[in-house]
Amino acid sequence: MDADSDVALDILITNVVCVFRTRCHLNLRKIALEGANVIYKRDVGKVLMKLRKPRITATIWSSGKIICTGATSEEEAKFGARRLARSLQKLGFQVIFTDFKVVNVLAVCNMPFEIRLPEFTKNNRPHASYEPELHPAVCYRIKSLRATLQIFSTGSITVTGPNVKAVATAVEQIYPFVFEKFFSQIRNKDMYIRSREQE
Amino acid sequence: MAGDNPVLWETKVLQSRATEDFFGNSIRLPFFTLPLPHTLHQTLQSSTASLVVPASRTLPGCTPAELDTARSGASFAFPGCPIYVPAGVTLQTASGQLYKVNVPIIVTQTSGRPSALQHPVQVLQQLGPPAVIQGSVPQLSPCSLQAAAERSRGVDAVPQQLTVPACGPVGRKNLGNATSDGCAPPGWEHGVRSAALLSENSPCAHGSGAAFPSWAAPAGPSAEPALSAPAAGRRRLLGGSLPAAGPQGTPHHQVALSSQLTDDDINRIIQVDGTGDASSNEEVGNVRDAEENEFLQIIDAGDLKVLEEAADSTSSEDSTASSSDDEGPEVALVDEDPLNSGDDVSEQDVPDLFDTDNVIVCQYDKIHRNKNKWKFYLKDGVMCFGGRDYVFAKAIGDAEW
Repeated sequence: MDADSDVALDILITNVVCVFRTRCHLNLRKIALEGANVIYKRDVGKVLMKLRKPRITATIWSSGKIICTGATSEEEAKFGARRLARSLQKLGFQVIFTDFKVVNVLAVCNMPFEIRLPEFTKNNRPHASYEPELHPAVCYRIKSLRATLQIFSTGSITVTGPNVKAVATAVEQIYPFVFEKFFSQIRNKDMYIRSREQE
Repeated sequence: MAGDNPVLWETKVLQSRATEDFFGNSIRLPFFTLPLPHTLHQTLQSSTASLVVPASRTLPGCTPAELDTARSGASFAFPGCPIYVPAGVTLQTASGQLYKVNVPIIVTQTSGRPSALQHPVQVLQQLGPPAVIQGSVPQLSPCSLQAAAERSRGVDAVPQQLTVPACGPVGRKNLGNATSDGCAPPGWEHGVRSAALLSENSPCAHGSGAAFPSWAAPAGPSAEPALSAPAAGRRRLLGGSLPAAGPQGTPHHQVALSSQLTDDDINRIIQVDGTGDASSNEEVGNVRDAEENEFLQIIDAGDLKVLEEAADSTSSEDSTASSSDDEGPEVALVDEDPLNSGDDVSEQDVPDLFDTDNVIVCQYDKIHRNKNKWKFYLKDGVMCFGGRDYVFAKAIGDAEW
């Protein structure tokens, strides 16, 4: 019945969002003209700079605040942010890499079984909210971790949290709850094996 | 209105550079000058006994003899040098206009030559406090009133100029000077502080020197407030130095300061980008700097040390040689260590993509991007490709980044 310890859940981090400051005013026009791989959005007053190596997209404001998205791990996010600051420094700005903070981590997790959402919602009243007409997933919030999970009936779960650790903890927390709700044990075992074979 | 805040007004006038032409150039007449005909007809009252003496003493170039004669009321041929006229003198120009001088003044004839004007300035400096000082501390407001009065009469080009350091409400002639500064300097320069009363029925009908016509226009009511404040003369006098007339109390600074001080306030680089942004300066506190500097990086005082070390790393930016020795002292200052040239970040890969001979010069209809897929809808262009030139009216392209 509880096979949580046997199943190794693969939690894939798909997106890490971080912010940092350069502590100096940035001239967006100069970045747009001289920087490489930049998109200048003059109407909103920001510059997008895309990096290849850690595939990240940074939104740069003239105030010196930079938001970095697209990284797949926290280390990569920091690495990409530093590389971005480095390229800004090469453009001539006196950049100081400060206030680096990972603000959001998005991960997906696949449960090897289907989940019955209405029952799940009934059993987890305060934390789960389900509006099938609006969205096909159950929105489960863990307040202590400040994490939000979206649980789909297919067993796919999307987790967003402030950092990777919170995300992993949230998945571990939710697993026993959803485990009971799978369609049927035997059936799911078949599906589980099948999904394993597909990988 | 003028009397309310003449100092402020004067500041604004000079800051607005409206008078730049007049006072930025030392050649211009720095002080207030009255136009006078070539022959100055003076009528001296008996109280002006000391008229001649100081003049001869302080005006080496002048001929005091003429003054003596003038003292008796004879017509006076204006010499080429300034004349010191003590208080109580009634001057009458050839056209019959009368000036009653209650303050010692210096009359200079300016024929448009700057050199002639310098004399009174120098002379005045040697001049001690005028023997006769009437009235209280220089009330420049009277001077301004004169200016206004004269201004209203219309200013014509006058052949000569009479610089009168008038400080009293006098019907000034032909103000000529563009701003209050002009009014004030004459008084200052001549060491006259007390109110000079010139009869109002002395319109300035005489042509002025070269400098006058150019001054005529902006003069007038503007001069009023400027004169009213002794501080005005102190601050904005150009082309001359204020003699240290003692009792007046107002500091007689070197006039030369002029408007150079005000330019600094205006020479701020204006930022055209990022309006409405709040610079990241809560901790640093460089709000002022962020707004001013458009292109250059602002180095806050608090971060100077960090930046210096960061600058050290930028100096070796092109090389991947690491300057990791910077880390130690920097960490102590800021939480996050600054970027080191080779430590964390490496050189961008393939930076020479633009080094190509295939060039397209065209106009674009639409450039679209979806994730890393780009679509180009171009028109009216010339393309140099593979060494050959192509011309197109429309071009569609796809690219992946």
